[in-house]
Amino acid sequence: MLDKKLLSLEDDDNLRSSRSNTKSKPRSSAATTTNPRASKRARLSGASLVDKIRLSFEDFDEALSGFKVSSGYERSKNTDLWVDKYRPRTLEELAVHKKKVEQVKLWFEESLDFSKDGLRNNVLLVTGQAGVGKSATIHLIASILGVTVYEWNAPIPTIWQEHVHNSSSGLKYTSKLDEFENFVESTRKYGVMASSSTEGIKAPVILLIDDLPLANGRHACERLQNCLLLLVRSTQIPTVILITDYDKADSSDQTARSMEDAQSSLERAGALKVAFNPITKNSIKKALQRICREEHCKVTTMEIDQMASASGGDIRHAITSLQLFSVKPDLNHTKIKSPRPGMDDSYHGNEQTMYSGLDSGISSCFGRDETLSLFHALGKFLHNKRETDNVIVSDCSNSLVHDEFARLPLKMDAPEKVLSQAHGQAGRVVDFLHENVLDFVSEGAIEDAWCVSSYLADADLLLADLRGKMSGHNKTEDVPQSAGASVAVRGVLYGNKQPCSSRWHVIRKPKLWQVEQSSMQTKKNLREQRNISYEGSRVADISVMATEYSPVLKWLSYRASPDAFAGMGEETDEEESEISEDDEIQDW
Amino acid sequence: MAASSSSTSSDGGYNNPWVEKYRPSKVVDIVGNEDAVSRLQVIARDGNMPNLILSGPPGTGKTTSILALAHELLGPNYKEAVLELNASDDRGIDVVRNKIKMFAQKKVTLPPGRHKVVILDEADSMTSGAQQALRRTIEIYSNSTRFALACNTSSKIIEPIQSRCALVRFSRLSDQQILGRLLVVVEAENVPYVPEGLEAIIFTADGDMRQALNNLQATFSGFRFVNQENVFKVCDQPHPLHVKNIVRNVLESKFDDACHGLKQLYDLGYSPTDIITTLFRIIKNYDMAEYLKLEFMKETGFAHMRICDGVGSYLQLCGLLAKLSIARETAKAP
Repeated sequence: MLDKKLLSLEDDDNLRSSRSNTKSKPRSSAATTTNPRASKRARLSGASLVDKIRLSFEDFDEALSGFKVSSGYERSKNTDLWVDKYRPRTLEELAVHKKKVEQVKLWFEESLDFSKDGLRNNVLLVTGQAGVGKSATIHLIASILGVTVYEWNAPIPTIWQEHVHNSSSGLKYTSKLDEFENFVESTRKYGVMASSSTEGIKAPVILLIDDLPLANGRHACERLQNCLLLLVRSTQIPTVILITDYDKADSSDQTARSMEDAQSSLERAGALKVAFNPITKNSIKKALQRICREEHCKVTTMEIDQMASASGGDIRHAITSLQLFSVKPDLNHTKIKSPRPGMDDSYHGNEQTMYSGLDSGISSCFGRDETLSLFHALGKFLHNKRETDNVIVSDCSNSLVHDEFARLPLKMDAPEKVLSQAHGQAGRVVDFLHENVLDFVSEGAIEDAWCVSSYLADADLLLADLRGKMSGHNKTEDVPQSAGASVAVRGVLYGNKQPCSSRWHVIRKPKLWQVEQSSMQTKKNLREQRNISYEGSRVADISVMATEYSPVLKWLSYRASPDAFAGMGEETDEEESEISEDDEIQDW
Repeated sequence: MAASSSSTSSDGGYNNPWVEKYRPSKVVDIVGNEDAVSRLQVIARDGNMPNLILSGPPGTGKTTSILALAHELLGPNYKEAVLELNASDDRGIDVVRNKIKMFAQKKVTLPPGRHKVVILDEADSMTSGAQQALRRTIEIYSNSTRFALACNTSSKIIEPIQSRCALVRFSRLSDQQILGRLLVVVEAENVPYVPEGLEAIIFTADGDMRQALNNLQATFSGFRFVNQENVFKVCDQPHPLHVKNIVRNVLESKFDDACHGLKQLYDLGYSPTDIITTLFRIIKNYDMAEYLKLEFMKETGFAHMRICDGVGSYLQLCGLLAKLSIARETAKAP
């Protein structure tokens, strides 16, 4: 260790001199390596010479930014986030689908192959939702192939107020976008940084861009896109760009859209795109079990199961949750270990396995997917268990009601209480009930179905205002929210007069969501089409795009295609299938 | 009145808001959400706090938990090792890029297992741009700095950040939990009270500890005595008992009386929104037949919708009572 330190000291001096030589270059253009994890790995496994030198650079960098240099050496066992501690070290540990990994690896090998010049695909675009292991894959493959990863790291900017305050002193305010432009410009011209050339060894290098600047508004978006185009077309170093997908409801958001635009323009410029899918439940389970073994924490397989499905394919979140979950206060031990018998088997939904009867007490508080905590409550509502024997008509008000409208008392707490324990959002509850309730109404009880449906429709109307915008927690918005939820739940409870005998049903995910998602997808496609065919002009209205613009475009291309590509029957086939797809969409 | 009350209570030391004065400083003392709190307790003891998002309705102890946790973790280093930003601070994109990053790079000597903590209260009010800027910072400095975010709805936090944090959900406190805490405060401050007064405070608070304490203090400093009447005077809500009478009259087919009661409330100057909000909560807790409760809730919800659409007239309220009566008649036993 002493040796290393000495070495690093020397190297610091070297570096300093080299830095001073290149001082004329703005610091922002020098992409500093920020990969403390890789360096730790290097430290653990007897490092090669290259690694040592790299290591020392990093130490230097760390010292520069005020890190404790020593902290890397004697980190005690439990001071790291598990996400960092159990970062995959081999390809087997990586939970990403093999095919995708292979694709990425292939790109690495091709782009690093210096023997064949000319047509090389220098840019890899990796997309996927948050926490599916995009950057982990890149880092891992790079370390296996012995490639140094350089990341672009935006320097700390001046705060706007300070800039205004000191405007005379020459402190400049630069936005991240400006800096990114500068950076792209300089990498194009100089290749990667002076530091690698001072080593004298030609270690293969790739550039990783994980932190694209935020582009707000049309102008900034175009700037970012142009910048990326420039990078794709002219970069000399293999470059990986990571873009996180937002496939959820907030994709109407401006930032998400700008990222999508950036993605499509990158693809058009010839970047190789690899889209990572959410990680499968089994892979997450495997990873969690491995960590549990190594940490010696007692978590039942059932809980791991639940955590894995609650994470929604996000392995990083699953591991973080596990870390929190494994912190077990003693008083809960008994509670955890007594899941209700008979309720712990799983049921297969059409897409995912869902759990209906798990002990909702503990795990429901954790995990990203809120729907999971709902199932317990939904099961109660749908099964609609009521007292049958020794009914005491305690409240006089009940006796005032006509027999037709009277119901036996419920075998549960007040529905509102159950709901609030389930952390359910009203809109979701209504969707779920609507999807599933008919399974629980007995055959032929059409009156019950009428009744339930009409109440659900009322609830939907009550919640209609909230659907569009995110609901705040104002008192005024509270009433429709809770009224909607109560009407839906109580309507289901009341309307389902003769519930089916208690055989098991799967609780499905609402189909409605799929529909919404695919309509969003189509809208996105339309928007992309618009961008392709008319860079400049912007047709604002989606409906205009769908009804007038795209049919005309299709018609034109259909007429043009037989003459232009006489032999290409497949092309027209594809066109036709697209048309039929569009027709479906217009039906909605 | 206000002046005199402030001068009299200032003899007992500060005139702090009780919410601050009785904010628990230890994780153990936090009321409710036992499971989450007990985990935080272990973290406070053992260190190595993961990145956290605490989400839940207001007044359930999110901020208190984080602050207490940070205090217990860092003790004397709290001042230099904690960066606390809430919605009142500037948290624009450049502040995140500058201040938080600077703080993350700052060197503070801490015992092993302890990290610097960045507390972002009301994180759901940050723009998504600022959250984007936070994303990388969380990751890069995870070996020296941890983040704790508090928010009302976790869905307003962007996914990349949700993915980097463990999510802890807080739910509303039960009436017993609030009552327990109120009794402690009442004892400590020597507040004269009757049990109905505390009940009224719990009703107005609706599971929100902060509001309960604020209402208690307001009632005490305004009237020096906590009973039902004073509480509702201070909180300026329609008296629940009054509203309850209206509902009872409807249920007993005394439509005239119900309307009379409503007129009284309206003449007192309560806005239709206030009246209907209280009405809804009364109905929610009123013991009546299942069908009636369902219908009543539905009609009240629709009436609320109309009022929010701008038709906040007395006529709407009367119409609501009429509809409730019709529902009552339909279900009536022959």
